[in-house]
Amino acid sequence: MNRRRWLFVTALTLAIVSYPPQWYPLPVRLKLTEWFGAMGFRALPESVAPPATMPVEFCPPDPENWRERHLIEGVEIEASESCEADNPYTIAAFVRGTNNVSQDTLLKSGLTADAVEMGRDLDGDGDPDEIHIRLEVAELNGGSALSRGPVTSYEIAPGIEPGLWVFAPKFVGMAVENFESRWARHSLRLPSPSIRIEQGDKVLITLENSHYMPHTVHLHGADHGFLTSAGEGNDGVPFTSEMPVMPGHARTYELQPRHPGTMFYHCHVQTHVHAMMGLQGLFIIEPNRPDNWLQTMNIGAGLVRVPSRSLKESFEREYDLHYLDIDKQLNERIQQYNDPRLITRSMHREYDITDSPPDYFTLNGKSFPYTFRESLVVGTMGQRIRLHVVNGGAKGLALHTHGHKFVVTDRDGDEVPESARSAQDVVWLATSQRVDLLLDLTNDGKHAYGPGIWPFHDHQYNGVTTDGIAPGGNISAIVYADYLKEGGWPKTRGVSWDSYFTPAYYRREIPVWESYAPGLFSDTGLDWRMLWRVIGLCLAAGILAGLLLSWLTRRGRGQ
Amino acid sequence: MKPAACFLLSVMALVASRSVAQDEVDHSGHSGHHMEVMPAGVVMNENLTELPRDCPEISRDYAFTIKAGRNFASDIPGMIYGMSQHEVRVLPCSRVEVTFINEDQVRHQWMVHGLPKYLYPAGMFHLEAAGGQSVTGTFIVPGDDQTFLVHCDMAQHMEKGMRGQLVVGDGSGNLWNVPGVSDEFYRFNYLPASMPLLAVLVLAVTFVAAFWLAKKA
Repeated sequence: MNRRRWLFVTALTLAIVSYPPQWYPLPVRLKLTEWFGAMGFRALPESVAPPATMPVEFCPPDPENWRERHLIEGVEIEASESCEADNPYTIAAFVRGTNNVSQDTLLKSGLTADAVEMGRDLDGDGDPDEIHIRLEVAELNGGSALSRGPVTSYEIAPGIEPGLWVFAPKFVGMAVENFESRWARHSLRLPSPSIRIEQGDKVLITLENSHYMPHTVHLHGADHGFLTSAGEGNDGVPFTSEMPVMPGHARTYELQPRHPGTMFYHCHVQTHVHAMMGLQGLFIIEPNRPDNWLQTMNIGAGLVRVPSRSLKESFEREYDLHYLDIDKQLNERIQQYNDPRLITRSMHREYDITDSPPDYFTLNGKSFPYTFRESLVVGTMGQRIRLHVVNGGAKGLALHTHGHKFVVTDRDGDEVPESARSAQDVVWLATSQRVDLLLDLTNDGKHAYGPGIWPFHDHQYNGVTTDGIAPGGNISAIVYADYLKEGGWPKTRGVSWDSYFTPAYYRREIPVWESYAPGLFSDTGLDWRMLWRVIGLCLAAGILAGLLLSWLTRRGRGQ
Repeated sequence: MKPAACFLLSVMALVASRSVAQDEVDHSGHSGHHMEVMPAGVVMNENLTELPRDCPEISRDYAFTIKAGRNFASDIPGMIYGMSQHEVRVLPCSRVEVTFINEDQVRHQWMVHGLPKYLYPAGMFHLEAAGGQSVTGTFIVPGDDQTFLVHCDMAQHMEKGMRGQLVVGDGSGNLWNVPGVSDEFYRFNYLPASMPLLAVLVLAVTFVAAFWLAKKA
């Protein structure tokens, strides 16, 4: 009895002493202030140092000089000023056809001999008009029953590896860099490659479905028959035109487009899932010109290093810009299982796109800051640049540029009349919409304001973040050549980019202004006195609860 | 259609001017290997004559025919691609000829890893057959008991069934995740959706029964 009373008194005293004064009811606090005045000064907790920034290399080296201008197989391949460039041998093989290049070029390209075959010149204008393109389907950052991390890894931004599916050109050999590496080989990446053909070309596209799910190719906006010449379905739509291509199987689609324009291709099996996993790419039909050897595929989109004849008539260079948004709730599902039955159920029945806003926003398969390695639009004063833009994402895209105004010359592959064109600094693209933009670098105060590093990005604010962390998403920049360092990195002014190249930044572990205001806006330390008070209260409450339980059991036994 | 490719052409891919960078950055996927590229596919690092250091002579000659494709996974639940045999057993120091027949319409590979690097660049012997094609290649295995990984390195093909093992002599233990040979290392649980309810139910019944028994005692 004595012990219980002693415990009760102790707990009560502890509670009264521990109870934080700032938690007293307001009338009590006001009365106390009336009597004693304010409490003494007690400094707020110190700032704590964040985890160290461990930036990866901003601008990876280019050991094989892929960025330089090349002349391979008689193909003039323009220099690519950004840090990361495509393999010029692959580009040359895409221009001449993998069946028309030397064995040495083919080996250096990494492609199979039938990746892009080119046949006869049907109109006698000096370029091939029979084109046979083969596409495989590859999974990046997929699951495995052997390891917990994603396999065939591909980063869209530091530490960000969402599960992805892409149409891929046919390469020989392994999907990874080498056996010891978990990283996908250089050319196996998001987005699916841009495809370029000429108006009037007889084109075959064979989908070799090397994935573990059914897929198709739908040629969105490109002139194609509902049936092939052999009477097979040709629209890629399982519920209206043909059976989908099963794993391990192949199917050939055909077209001979009568009109030029910037079109689109995507998988049409469970489209809301498959296209959003990355099975989509730009499909550009160039106007027919003599001796017009096109770069049939542009891996990772971006700068077209072998531009067409028609482009050179009125522009200096052209870029493919492929925008995509990614919902991690969908994309992580391929990493959670290995059994295709479980993956299929999870992606197509459990996932509900109507409940799912996107988290990642990519331009040409990367998010900021990696966009600055390869998706800069580089030019000099007075140049005219053409941008082929597609919004592959599920939400709209409010494409905005600093320092310039775009002119929309074509929408959905059809020319906009001169009289209807205007200079715009926000261009709206609905889902799957394409625009061709004229970017005029003439410093006239309207189309351009002069040299610099001028960002361009989605002006819907989620698009400039990576899962809500800014800067991220699809931010890239128009950079004038004077503002580029030798290696291709822009001479940015302002803040350090170390934190943006540190995975911890996008894991929300580094305060946003830490690099230039250390301590001022950092995370706060603990209020130890408050912590001890709360622990004291918990101790008191525990003792009181114990006493209550013992009283109840004694009562129950009738004592 | 393919002038140069009609002949077998043995090539040493990419001149080894920057050997360090080649090992680290393997952009085209086959730097430093001995490659034979044919329309039917690829044979990489074939070795008919050079003996491993621990082999005085060729102990025996084998010839295997291994088929690959969807058909060979049709009886393995949850797998998409497979091979006619997922395990190959040979004597140490033997010479192994493999004819790899691809019955699908997409590429497949039969790739051995972990071989001595002084004989096989990157420790690899690799066959790749285009859809509907077959390729044949030969290599010589080393003299100690060891189990080597065999797989298809197309993205997800190993995960979805194309994983096997080459057992030399008694081997060095089975590898995980070889269909028909060994279990999955991270095996999914495959429990009913109502498992939590079932668990609570069993727990509750057991609790009541034990309480009642204890009281009776």
